[in-house]
Amino acid sequence: MIERLGLVTTQLPTATSSAMVLLAVVMPVLLGVLGGAWRPLRGWPGLALALIPLLALLWLVQQIAVHGTQAWVLELGSLTLHWRANGLTLLLLLLTQWLVLASAVYTPAYLRVAEQALGRGAVWLWPLMGLLATSLSLIWMAADLLTLYIGLELMGLTAVGLILLPGREEALAAGMRYLLLALIGSLAFLLGVALLLGSWERLDLAGLAVVVEPSPVLWVAMALLSAGLLLKAAAFPLHAWLVPVHGSAWTPVSALHAALVIKASFFIALQLWLVLAPQAAAAAWLVGGMGAAAVVWGGLLAWRADKLKDVVAWSTVSQLGYLLIGFPLLIGTSTAVASIAWAGVWLQLLAHSLAKAAMFLAVGNLMLATGESRVSGLAGASRRFPLSLLSFGIAAISLVGLPPSAGFTAKWLLLHASLAAGQWPWLVVLAVGTLLSAAYVFRVFRYSFVEDVEREDYRPVPLRMDLVALALALASLILGLTATWPLALLAIAGGTP
Amino acid sequence: MPPLVDVLLATLPVFLAAFALLDRHLVRACSLFVLFALVVALNWWQLGFIWLALLETLLGAALTGAFLFHALGIGPARRAPPVRRSHGQDPLPLTWRRGLVHLMPVLALLGMLAAALASLPASDTSPAARWSGLVLVGLGLWVFNLKAHLLRRLLAFNITGTGIFLLLMTLVGEAGTAAGQALVITGLVVAWLGTVLGALLIRRLGALATHHESTLINDGQAS
Repeated sequence: MIERLGLVTTQLPTATSSAMVLLAVVMPVLLGVLGGAWRPLRGWPGLALALIPLLALLWLVQQIAVHGTQAWVLELGSLTLHWRANGLTLLLLLLTQWLVLASAVYTPAYLRVAEQALGRGAVWLWPLMGLLATSLSLIWMAADLLTLYIGLELMGLTAVGLILLPGREEALAAGMRYLLLALIGSLAFLLGVALLLGSWERLDLAGLAVVVEPSPVLWVAMALLSAGLLLKAAAFPLHAWLVPVHGSAWTPVSALHAALVIKASFFIALQLWLVLAPQAAAAAWLVGGMGAAAVVWGGLLAWRADKLKDVVAWSTVSQLGYLLIGFPLLIGTSTAVASIAWAGVWLQLLAHSLAKAAMFLAVGNLMLATGESRVSGLAGASRRFPLSLLSFGIAAISLVGLPPSAGFTAKWLLLHASLAAGQWPWLVVLAVGTLLSAAYVFRVFRYSFVEDVEREDYRPVPLRMDLVALALALASLILGLTATWPLALLAIAGGTP
Repeated sequence: MPPLVDVLLATLPVFLAAFALLDRHLVRACSLFVLFALVVALNWWQLGFIWLALLETLLGAALTGAFLFHALGIGPARRAPPVRRSHGQDPLPLTWRRGLVHLMPVLALLGMLAAALASLPASDTSPAARWSGLVLVGLGLWVFNLKAHLLRRLLAFNITGTGIFLLLMTLVGEAGTAAGQALVITGLVVAWLGTVLGALLIRRLGALATHHESTLINDGQAS
């Protein structure tokens, strides 16, 4: 599995590709600082500038597709840091840039409409957003535990800062709770890393994969690392902080948080399991069971939720369960099963990120336009805000897993993998999850097609906000139609394409 | 170095941490925490990590302390009216039963950790520091679960973090020292930033709560 993660490579990077990677990692922070200094009232200058790292990444994708995985070893005195770029990392980097770009275009208009009295919060928004993109890029590229730790901490603190920006009491209370949990989660992670460093004296993942051997230290370290990361990823019994956080944050921040921040913790957890405990099938079943419970419980609560944003937030808990089911399918299974599940898990991550961001933005538009935060307040929306509802619908197609969306392809692959592995419980979970997600999506539609309301106080949102939501929703659909491209990138292993 | 100093340096942080976490008076608790951080800095110095000692003094003691006092409404800048001070009276009184119930998961974790550590080679230079690190982790986590007051939980988080740093540096051998120091420095900076955010939040939440109260009283008088 470590070949698939791009950790085994002899390919030395060229100077150009190093420059491109640096551009993609550093540029968002610089743009963020610029944005903080000038506070753009429109999205397009940011859009133009932010296209540069996106283009750099596309060039890198081309490079990797031809020459294979590249790895960087950075020597800082007696410290060595390891970075790598393979098909998976590049897909995640592209996803990050694309989503941050979309929210950056969405945000100025959103702030103008939603926040009449702009507090000091807006000054901090842009630098924090840039920092978030950079820390995520670090996490995707990191091939050693020190870089991962730095990226994780940077991301956690930035995320807390972004959540706090509205400055209202419920945002502050949710942010405080999130801060304390995130800090405890990082301590658990650090303790796990300390045990690994104490026993094997190294932090690079490729080296650790070779030297670790099953022992009590490894099990305790893995338990601590997983507990910390799953807490930050809002995995099932540890998910209670997520809904208030998403409910009180600004809509583009909720979108980024649901689409990227919790995925980063999941990514690190899965990577560490594949590297350090690739045969721990029993423990992986435990995580899979948590995922199954998350699918059902999150789906039920999304169905029962009163507020629109809570529906979307509970749906995140539920959809994250599908990713956790990837653990028992990838760990301790045969190569054939693992290679199907590998494609399924990452495609599900990409599809969910795009669809969830689109859904958050669409829901944010609907909430602003109707001035209602409850699902029942949507009555009459179908005739007045067809575009927002269309984005919501397209995103829902992917979340429910209907063809031809990427969500469908991903669930199909997971289904196929569990059949091939003979792990039938996951089939039931996938079926129940699909029904539940259809139930909560159609509940939203049912209310928006209610026609007999006499209300005049609608505030249509600017067209740009609708278009951004639509663009993200369409991306999740197009990803399904052109799934061969990401799947081919994901299949690139080791040094050779 | 006589062993007495070793033992004293290892046990003093534990006692100071326990007093800081259980003292009912929050200002005294924060002062004790600053003292705790200074003693830990001495520990770093004695273990031979000069940089960590300096950073611990600067970040752990001085800057963290400043923000903890800021959260309590004590500071050089007295522009804002001082926040209503609750002297650590937690909403739930501490009873033996609650204390013991919250101790169970912490003991389970410590047992797990001790089992893992037992299979590692014993630290030849600093066995006492390793044990005090372990106890600090347990103490911090216990109080973190037990107490509801936000400032107390920040203190508990900081003490758990310090325990983990001590444990980490006594675990690494020659080959891993640089990586270990990098991890601890990152951890110290993160703990400080987390405390700053937490302290500012506590201050803000306290101000909002007093605001609510005064509006409620005004409404009551008006009606």
